[in-house]
Amino acid sequence: MAAFVYRPTASPQEAANWSPRQVLETDLRTIGGRAYPRVTGMMREKSWLFFEILLPFLATSAFVFVYRALEAPPEYIGFVVLGGAMTAFWLNVIWMMASQLYWEKSQGNLELYFAAPMSITMVLFGMALGGIVMSSTRAVVVLIVATTVFGVTFSVEQWGLLIAVFVLTLAALYGFGMVLASLFLMWGREAFHMTQLFTEPVYFVSGLNFPVARLGFVGALAIGTIPLAVGLDAMRQLAFAGVEFPVGTPPPEVEVLILVAMTVVFLAIARWTLAVLERMARREGRLSVRWQ
Amino acid sequence: MTARGAAAELADELGSPEWGGFEPGRVRGNGFADTWRSFVTAARLGWAMEANWTDPVLFFIYSVAKPVSSALILVVMLDIITGGNRPEYKGFVVVGTALWSFVVAGIAGLAWSVLDDRERYRMLKYVYVSPSDFLVVLLGRGVARVLVGGAGALITIAVGIVFLGVTFDPLAVDWPSLAVALLAGLGAIVAVAILLAAIILQTRQDSWSYPEALAGALFLVSGAVFPLTVLPGPLQAVGLLTPMTWWIEGVRDALFPGGLSAVGGEGSLWLALTGSARPDQLTTLVALLATGTLVTLAATAVFRASEGRAKDRGLLDQTTGS
Repeated sequence: MAAFVYRPTASPQEAANWSPRQVLETDLRTIGGRAYPRVTGMMREKSWLFFEILLPFLATSAFVFVYRALEAPPEYIGFVVLGGAMTAFWLNVIWMMASQLYWEKSQGNLELYFAAPMSITMVLFGMALGGIVMSSTRAVVVLIVATTVFGVTFSVEQWGLLIAVFVLTLAALYGFGMVLASLFLMWGREAFHMTQLFTEPVYFVSGLNFPVARLGFVGALAIGTIPLAVGLDAMRQLAFAGVEFPVGTPPPEVEVLILVAMTVVFLAIARWTLAVLERMARREGRLSVRWQ
Repeated sequence: MTARGAAAELADELGSPEWGGFEPGRVRGNGFADTWRSFVTAARLGWAMEANWTDPVLFFIYSVAKPVSSALILVVMLDIITGGNRPEYKGFVVVGTALWSFVVAGIAGLAWSVLDDRERYRMLKYVYVSPSDFLVVLLGRGVARVLVGGAGALITIAVGIVFLGVTFDPLAVDWPSLAVALLAGLGAIVAVAILLAAIILQTRQDSWSYPEALAGALFLVSGAVFPLTVLPGPLQAVGLLTPMTWWIEGVRDALFPGGLSAVGGEGSLWLALTGSARPDQLTTLVALLATGTLVTLAATAVFRASEGRAKDRGLLDQTTGS
């Protein structure tokens, strides 16, 4: 690339003083380089089709059958399907965003990341983009198959708002993932166990299979802090317009604003925590400590 | 004895016999004593890895948060739809969820041992070439998770009884049947775990999610949280061939005799096949033992085949990125 062509400089300091174009090109290459294995990996490893699409679809189906056994209204089945599709993103965030730097540390790659002349924020951004592509395929398949098999009918009146909610939910979710990734930078085996801890409890407080309004104060707290909770609630209201669910949560327009605020706050926190915790991890020698 | 003397004595012991040939007794080991030692060592290692990453309070929260949350999800779903008008269903889902957390823990313990040792700590090849039986080591490594899963299941049931209004009468419990069901069920879970460990020996690092995925699929056909009657006929048939179905049915029937059955009921395949409304406790236990034995035999055969293939293709020390 032209921006990286050798240019004579008077000192190492001058050589290290990159132009905005060099910075931009490096950032783009970093994003592309980190997103690439996630997207390509989907094509190379066929077993994921079975383990990451079919089996999670069956798990979602289990909750559909719970509602069927209870003779619940059909909208609840649709809500389970929607939640089942969205779990793909949450699992991707906690397993392949939050924990990723921990995995890299275990594999001995993390020090290479930090030694390379690139922004670690861009590495995380690349991971997020690759992860979104990867999870979207799973989510779309689960959504289409489950909708067809269980005869779910959506009633959408505001497509634009629904798409905006979806995109903002992903932005906030992956921003949250970047915050967790920087925290996990400091941790050893705790990271793996905390990832475990972030699954079912978050499903519960986010109202994955039921309207979160039913949880009262806990639900309100989740709406204010967990992107999955607020995104799912907004999507439920928009995808099943006019259906009577338990009430108590803000309208989707307000939830969009909450998601925007979450996205901005999480990205800002991620940038700050990454810088602080990277410095701390360097000082305490944790970047290259493995298996603890 | 001096250090030099001890070393010389050890060298004598390890050297060739005086007549210069191969002495089979030296590689035969001490039979069961060696196996037990391998198992105990692996179990202690597994426990250390599982539990010493944090303080006991956080470890306790970590151990119970997952199963309790799963139970709460279902209880809230139940309350929303029934408005609390079907209390018998509450006990049904709480016990089913609690037992299922045990299944997930049991399956994940063995499968993750393979991944931990191969991908993370890169010790699998050394463990494999040690004199211990590989399968025994894996079983030992899985014990810690089984214990944690068992504790989580117990606490979930306790939470259900104390906080969620599940009615429970200790005097009504069929304790002998409960003991048999728990023991046979544990065997069946370990067999499924061995089966998955065999698969994971062949797959890549991303297999961390496989135990949960497999458990999720089995969850659908095991009648853990809903009666099998709501499933289509072929899926009910799969459920009847799964040991977990009989395990959960057996434990549930022992804890709440005469309560809701996941296997029987109006419109069930069981009713169509046998003409009886629900299986009695003896039938349930026999079915559990029969299906558990079949799965155990299949798992052992698949594991040995997978082990051979992994050795042939150099998979035991192959690490993969993601």
